[in-house]
Amino acid sequence: MQSIDIFGQIGLNHYLILSALLFVTGMAGVLLRRNIIVLLMSIELMLNAVNISFIAFGKYMNQLDGQILVFFVMTIAAAEAAVGLAIAVNIFKRYKEVNIRFFEHLKG
Amino acid sequence: MTADIFLFWLLASVTLLSGVGVVLVSNPIYSALCLAMTMVGVSAIFATLGAYFIAGVQMIVYAGAVMVLFVMVLMLFDLKTEIATFSRGRISGAIKIAIVGLLAGLIAGTFAMTTTIAGKPETKEKAGHAAKSLGELLFTKYVFGFEALGVLLLIIAIGVVGLARSKGGTHAKH
Amino acid sequence: MNHSLLMSILILSPFVGFLINGLRYKKHNYLVAGTIATSAVFISFISAVFLVVDLVGLPPDSRRIAVTFFEWIRVANLSVDAGFVVDQISAIMILIITGVGSLIHLFSVGYMHHDKGVAKYFAYLNLFIFNMLLLVLGDNLLVMFVGWEGVGLCSYLLIGFWFTDETKAAAGMKAFVTNRVGDAAFLLGMFILFLTFGTLNFSELNALVPAAAETSWLGAITLGTLFLFVGATGKSAQIPLYIWLPDAMAGPTPVSALIHAATMVTAGVYMIVRLNPMFMMAPNTMMIIAIIGAATAVMAATIGMTQWDIKKVLAYSTVSQLGYMFLACGVGAFGAAMFHLMTHAFFKALMFLGSGSVIHAMHEEQDIRKMGALKKYLPITHFTFLLGWLAIIGIPPFSGFFSKDEILWMSFHSPLGHPVLWAAGALGATLTAFYMTRLMCLTFWGASRVPKGTHPHESPITMTIPLVVLGVLSVIGGWIGIPHIVSDFLGHLPNVWEEWLHPMIKEVPNMGPADASLEWALIATSVGLASVSALVAYHMYVRKPGSASRVADAMGPAYKIVYNKYFIDEAYFAAIINPLVKGSRALWYYVDVNFIDKCTYWAADVAKGGGALIRSLQNGNMQQYAMYIGIGLVVVLSILLMR
Repeated sequence: MQSIDIFGQIGLNHYLILSALLFVTGMAGVLLRRNIIVLLMSIELMLNAVNISFIAFGKYMNQLDGQILVFFVMTIAAAEAAVGLAIAVNIFKRYKEVNIRFFEHLKG
Repeated sequence: MTADIFLFWLLASVTLLSGVGVVLVSNPIYSALCLAMTMVGVSAIFATLGAYFIAGVQMIVYAGAVMVLFVMVLMLFDLKTEIATFSRGRISGAIKIAIVGLLAGLIAGTFAMTTTIAGKPETKEKAGHAAKSLGELLFTKYVFGFEALGVLLLIIAIGVVGLARSKGGTHAKH
Repeated sequence: MNHSLLMSILILSPFVGFLINGLRYKKHNYLVAGTIATSAVFISFISAVFLVVDLVGLPPDSRRIAVTFFEWIRVANLSVDAGFVVDQISAIMILIITGVGSLIHLFSVGYMHHDKGVAKYFAYLNLFIFNMLLLVLGDNLLVMFVGWEGVGLCSYLLIGFWFTDETKAAAGMKAFVTNRVGDAAFLLGMFILFLTFGTLNFSELNALVPAAAETSWLGAITLGTLFLFVGATGKSAQIPLYIWLPDAMAGPTPVSALIHAATMVTAGVYMIVRLNPMFMMAPNTMMIIAIIGAATAVMAATIGMTQWDIKKVLAYSTVSQLGYMFLACGVGAFGAAMFHLMTHAFFKALMFLGSGSVIHAMHEEQDIRKMGALKKYLPITHFTFLLGWLAIIGIPPFSGFFSKDEILWMSFHSPLGHPVLWAAGALGATLTAFYMTRLMCLTFWGASRVPKGTHPHESPITMTIPLVVLGVLSVIGGWIGIPHIVSDFLGHLPNVWEEWLHPMIKEVPNMGPADASLEWALIATSVGLASVSALVAYHMYVRKPGSASRVADAMGPAYKIVYNKYFIDEAYFAAIINPLVKGSRALWYYVDVNFIDKCTYWAADVAKGGGALIRSLQNGNMQQYAMYIGIGLVVVLSILLMR
């Protein structure tokens, strides 16, 4: 097994680990925060983390398809943010607060 | 330590720190600012990976449009520092943190254990050339996805307008 | 006219009457309800007459009008048709049922005019006629059983007609439950016969009976007929299941006349006569029937001597007379049984209606100690009752004489009979004469004991017409079956009855030649005994009114036992009903409540607890759901990476 100096040379693995950590951070936000807007921000964080993986793979595979996917993901993310915020606005109008617990009405 | 390596570590630490900030800071405005910082960092990472066009788009769409949207909504709500930042439940909170940690450990550990799977990256490409081939790919191979995305955006635009105008959805009181 | 059309009118006319009156059960107009019901039964009677006239027109050996409406059940080798037959036996029955039924309906119009549920009453009465017709016309045991159950139901409904009175409702219940015991046995008998012969059709069953008599006690025919007979004891109030009939007097009096004297209670006799070739081949069963019949006749008569309720006396009299019919069946005199069935239907219906008239006149008073000297107030009732009395105690030439004498003669003379059976029958006849005379004396003759404030009055014409008609029938009804020696004496009068029934009745084998002098002697003995007994009763209750109670006192405990009906009800309660109730209660408490219920509760609790546990996962908290996704992700990734 070749020993790699992790500080001396940057490879695909570095980017993937960065992506994973960022993704997990976003996930923690989704799981733990109560404010819906912060929740949406955390989701953006997760999407961005995935984007990093795509670009990194694209570069190390010599393919542009990764960038195309990032393009799509960004579009979807923007749309999702718009819808999510619209819902947040509605909830705020009704309860004067944007707390995830208002979604507990979802239970059957 | 070359500039590339230094740049990576710098950007990675900035991005991660501001990402953690998004999650931990209790005032949503600061969260939003942290998120903007993360976006910029990610955009810069894209640039180091040679995806200049995407990096630009990232700056414009995320750090620009989406962040403006967030901040505007926050301004609209006039939110202050929250009293209860995190959701209730000690046991479920512990489980959630454990899950997050485990997941991070699993993924990162796996990547750290494996050797590099990809070959050497191509030598530098011209930025304009890359944007051009990206455009060609978008309008040939992915043209249907692209068009579908356009339709989706249209629908979402209409839907969001409708949603914003409605007075409470199914709980509507007239 | 078309036979199937006539048959449908015969059967369905009372049913239509039932539907009409049943649907307008809230109406209180007794005239309308009574007219509908009476005309429904009368239409039935007319079609019955038409059918019987057609039947008489046929040659004697093929007298049988069979109509099959549809195939009712067909499962494997069980095939049952909704088939109805008018032959010599059922012809008599339908004439009695619809004829006497019409008269009793007419009587009811007057009797029930003050009752609130009069439409309901007539609806039940019509339903009863319908079911009774099913019973007698059915050409197989199953259709008969439908009618058998139907009349039981109507009997229950009508006994408990005044159900707001708890004792009357209880009497209805008692009749129903007691009949259930018999019906279960009837079903068992049916099963055994079907298992043995593979059919339930009467004519097929009678044709399949082996030629040799079955001597074994456990043979199929003996067992089957025994079970059928137990069913008959339930319906026809014989030992051991007779206990419901006296209580059944709680119903309206016309009901007692129709159901508990003339028709339903004779269903058991009818069933045995219908299957007489079968019963004839089971001499053991026949012996038991004869013994039970004779015992019932004597025992019920003794109880009848001590009762004070006018209807109870008549009820025990009915049980006793039914005992005679079974005695006749048991000694193979099926013709005599049917004959007595018919004459009994006339005079007992007459007496019940007469008692109804008395009760009506006395404003619902049934205790004969509070009557007496009603002769002058109720001339028509008295006169017709007198005819019934003469008929039942067997004074020639009234109808009861011929039928009872035939039975007594056969019980002596038939190879299946025995002098002891004859002696029991004669004793029963003596006792009958005594208690019926006692009833006459206490009710109509002697000194008046009517309480002040009661003003007896003769009944309206709708009630007296049936009395008169039945009175005439009670006198002349016996003339169609005059015994040979009497007819020889009178100059060769034809015995219409015997000729009529002859093709349907299996002869008793080894019947010896009749000894004329012996028969005359027996007739003289029974008539003499009855007359003496009647005179004694007259002496005791009219000439010297106090002597009866002195005799009763002298008898001491024996009188007490008889007065309390031999404590049979109490014995049943102690031996069967109370242990059953206690056992059921114990089963209910220990098995049902403490075991089965607990088990089900436990299962329910497990399901509920499990549900609550899983429900807590579905709390609607979105982040919790996301957590589940995360858990799944970690698990799947771990598994993938561990490999």
